[in-house]
Amino acid sequence: MIKLGQKSDAKELRPRIVGLGVFFVAGLLVLAVNLYRLMVVRYEEFLALSVDNQFKDVRLRAPRGLIRDRRGEVLVDARPSLDVFITPAFCQKCTAEVLPRLAEVLGWDEAERARVEGLIKSAHGPQRYQPLIAAVDVSRDAFDQLLARQFLLPGVDLEPVPHRSYRAGPTLAHLVGYMNEITQDELSRLNGSAERPPYALGDYIGRRGVERSFEHEVRGTDGWDKHVVNARGEVMRDARGNVLKGAQQLLPQPGNNVVLSIDARLQAEAERAFPGTAGAVVAIETKTGFIRAMVSRPAFDPNEMTGRVSPKRLAQLNQDPLQPMIFRAGAEHYHPGSTFKVVTLLAALQQGIMTPTSQVSCGGGYTLGSRRWRCHNERGHGLVDAKRALQVSCDTYFYRAADLMGIEPIAQMGKAFGLGSVTNLGVAAEVPGVMPDSAYHNKATPGGYTKGMALNTAIGQGDTNVTPLQLAVLYSAIGNKGKVLQPQLVMRLESPDGKVTKTFDPKLVREIPMTDEQHQLLIDALVSVVNEPGGTAFRTRSAEYTVAGKTGTAQVAKLGQVRLKKEQMDYFERDHAWFASFAPAEDPELTVVVLNEHGGHGGSDAAPTAAAVFAKYFELKKADAFALGEDWVAPKPPKPVFVPKPAAPADVSEPALASDVPAPPESTVQAPTPAPTQVPR
Amino acid sequence: MMNLSPERRSVSQMPWLLLLATLLTTAVGIYNLASASRPPSAPMWTSQAAYFVVGCLVAAAVAWVDPKLLEKLAVPIYLANLAALVALKFFGHKAKGAESWFVIGPLRVQPAEFMKIGMLLMLAKYFHDDYRPQQPTYGFLRLIPPAVIALVPTALVLVQPDLGTALMMAFTTMTVLLFARPSLPVLLVLGVLALAGVGVLWNDYVRPQPTEERFTVIRHKLKKHQDARITGWLDPTSDLKGSNYHAMQSKIAVGSGGTEGKGWMQGTQTGLRYLPEQHTDFIFSVFAEEQGFLKCLGLLVLYAGILLGALWVAAGAKERFGAFVAVGVAAMIFWQVFENIGMVTGLLPITGITLPLMSYGGSSMVSVMIGIGLLVNVALKRQRSGLG
Repeated sequence: MIKLGQKSDAKELRPRIVGLGVFFVAGLLVLAVNLYRLMVVRYEEFLALSVDNQFKDVRLRAPRGLIRDRRGEVLVDARPSLDVFITPAFCQKCTAEVLPRLAEVLGWDEAERARVEGLIKSAHGPQRYQPLIAAVDVSRDAFDQLLARQFLLPGVDLEPVPHRSYRAGPTLAHLVGYMNEITQDELSRLNGSAERPPYALGDYIGRRGVERSFEHEVRGTDGWDKHVVNARGEVMRDARGNVLKGAQQLLPQPGNNVVLSIDARLQAEAERAFPGTAGAVVAIETKTGFIRAMVSRPAFDPNEMTGRVSPKRLAQLNQDPLQPMIFRAGAEHYHPGSTFKVVTLLAALQQGIMTPTSQVSCGGGYTLGSRRWRCHNERGHGLVDAKRALQVSCDTYFYRAADLMGIEPIAQMGKAFGLGSVTNLGVAAEVPGVMPDSAYHNKATPGGYTKGMALNTAIGQGDTNVTPLQLAVLYSAIGNKGKVLQPQLVMRLESPDGKVTKTFDPKLVREIPMTDEQHQLLIDALVSVVNEPGGTAFRTRSAEYTVAGKTGTAQVAKLGQVRLKKEQMDYFERDHAWFASFAPAEDPELTVVVLNEHGGHGGSDAAPTAAAVFAKYFELKKADAFALGEDWVAPKPPKPVFVPKPAAPADVSEPALASDVPAPPESTVQAPTPAPTQVPR
Repeated sequence: MMNLSPERRSVSQMPWLLLLATLLTTAVGIYNLASASRPPSAPMWTSQAAYFVVGCLVAAAVAWVDPKLLEKLAVPIYLANLAALVALKFFGHKAKGAESWFVIGPLRVQPAEFMKIGMLLMLAKYFHDDYRPQQPTYGFLRLIPPAVIALVPTALVLVQPDLGTALMMAFTTMTVLLFARPSLPVLLVLGVLALAGVGVLWNDYVRPQPTEERFTVIRHKLKKHQDARITGWLDPTSDLKGSNYHAMQSKIAVGSGGTEGKGWMQGTQTGLRYLPEQHTDFIFSVFAEEQGFLKCLGLLVLYAGILLGALWVAAGAKERFGAFVAVGVAAMIFWQVFENIGMVTGLLPITGITLPLMSYGGSSMVSVMIGIGLLVNVALKRQRSGLG
């Protein structure tokens, strides 16, 4: 044993030290060769991988196209919604600290906090790296407060997100529509197997009206950007807070703008002038079918429906007895009442049953078999010819015509005008209405068709049902000498920079053959309704232009199926007031149909709205012509009216003028009124 | 030479190559750390510089200790380190699934780093004391004590679990044992064992799998993450998003550095934190990505300088204790470098091991500097100078 401090045999160790040195150098050489393999030989491959690593594709949302009125006024665009997002993977101490802080600033109650917590906890795996929407449309104050405390809120992002803004609120709601979140089904259907899927979970998609029908036009195409991300997927920013981006990007293509034929000014006037609780106003261009204004009341607010409606509020909207979600102008039908009489008259003239001069004696009713159909004027209208029959809305005349020709010619004429089928407006769902014929009655009515049904149909009662839009198409066709046009809402599409990409032309559906004489008779009769004493809408005549129109007061055949409170019963039992019209009568430009649901009488509760719309239309036309420096040709004023005593032309309301005012409610018809015993006289 | 004053002799006997390479490597390490810990991380290079200063002081102290005292202290140091490792089981701080640290105030001390030194001193003392000039080779019986000396701390480190350090200790011990000149039968047995190890690896991991359940020798005993690392090592393309993610990201970092590198602070893999433990175990990938192949070669040359410097010290040692200490320190540094760079470049499975003088960490830095101090101590041969 060698003692401590003894000299070792260094020479004995030296060969092995040298060997060890060789081994060490060899080891380092192995490392060097491996480094050469990675860093020189496979450099390109790893460089590509490292570049791939640091970028994440970020979708750049395409701005959605605007919806404008005919003059370019913006009806629908986008506004910033201050939204709060949480990315679960980055949200440390989320439930313990972050959510209580958010709840405090945003004023969440316990239920809301629990909802967000549930949302965060339900994210698993890669979903945890997806930002979840925690709150939308927070106030500017709350947003700023959160921004200032962002360092205390890991995983919380605050961003102003473009949100669809319906500037006019409920105005045009049914036509413009609204948006909400895309469903899983739609996602898989619309995305298909596209490499860059157009839709992502959480995207909004058009749900009604133009938003839905023109979704593919207004949506645009999303772009993509490459953002520098770290290993956790967090987007990196430079010292100034700007997002670091890759060199390549695909810019989003904004959606096209949709230009409606609506004139926002006329629309506003129609909204203002319509007094009804519920109902519709339809103003379309007589010769093209383009819609200038359309009221459907009550309506909903698309701003609310677009991702801001609570389930409670939605239930409230759906249970409202006035049913604000229903598009009354096209998706609800009503008895047309006396406004239908033009159809009966034209059918009778074309059948040869009636001539313009043939007269019917009205004694206040008409007897068919053992039943008597009453005229709304129980004292009778005396001898009436075709024109007088329309002017005073004499039911007896049309009972007689129906008795002579039966239901088929009436139904055929109605169908030719488009009744009983949808108008193909396109942007909104419609109901076809009902244009009954004998086949219909044989199928739908117990006991089958009887002639009494023809009598009811002749005056727009019975099973006859039309939508206000159909009636507008019908009256346009009359003003247009039989040309039935498809109503349209969208005039053209424009690219984001305003270039017209598509123009929609008037669409002629069919032309109803009609002699000049027949046409002139209808026009004269409709003019007399408004412009001659005794006409049912005489009170609303204008001194500057000639309105041709027809009133209607439709009895409500069935009471609503919704169980109603007592005070509502009265309302829902009242008659519908109609007025269908066009002007100027000699060369019609605008057709206006007003339906005042449960509003009372056509002459008093519907016609004034139409008068206001016409007044505004001609005022705007004149103003626009001056503004554009165009010639203004005033419409022809109506023939002077002889009014016996007080010469004031406009406001004739005294009951003394018996024939002047539609004092007796017209068409308070009840089909069938049982019994000979009831027959007066 | 005999006429030189002790001071002059100290200067001439100072292992300058070793010291220069050490200093340069540390400087490169601190420069590199500044990039690895770029904002928003804490600037670690300042702490690392402080650790280096502490390491130098410790190294100087170690260098000036009387070698006799050092030899006497080998047993107590070894036992104290063992005690510390055992105590770690009870008072240790758990981090990333391993109990590796003592937390003393603001300091985190890793006893395993110091255990390596204790083990080396103990081995050197054994081979010094047991030297028999008539029996120059070591048979099985004479190798049992050093095997026990190495196995006890290695096992303690392994159960922390710190596979990387344990492997490094095993390799270092093996190097020292081989250096001590084992007898031919021992060499044959070791060769057979090595072949058996390769066989086990082939059986457990490489051999095509005929059925779901098959015979494995050690695989079923490994922890899941250890098993995954070996799988990942042998098949780098498997499970890239999971267990093999770090290995792949590290290779991407190194490979994407190319010849020139991306530039200091310009490494994207580093800056975007794709690398795990980028300031400690994976520090080399930061260096490779930003500095490129040529400077990596330079770094390897610096390590070669340290290793050859250490061997030069060993060759000049007057007694076996000093030579074995020097060889031990050299082997420790070599295996740490080899294991670390090998793992970062996908040559070896991923295990937690630091790169000497480059990785961030006080314990690692101080333990390496103690090793350097020991080398200087041996080089100065003060036991012959009469100063001691």
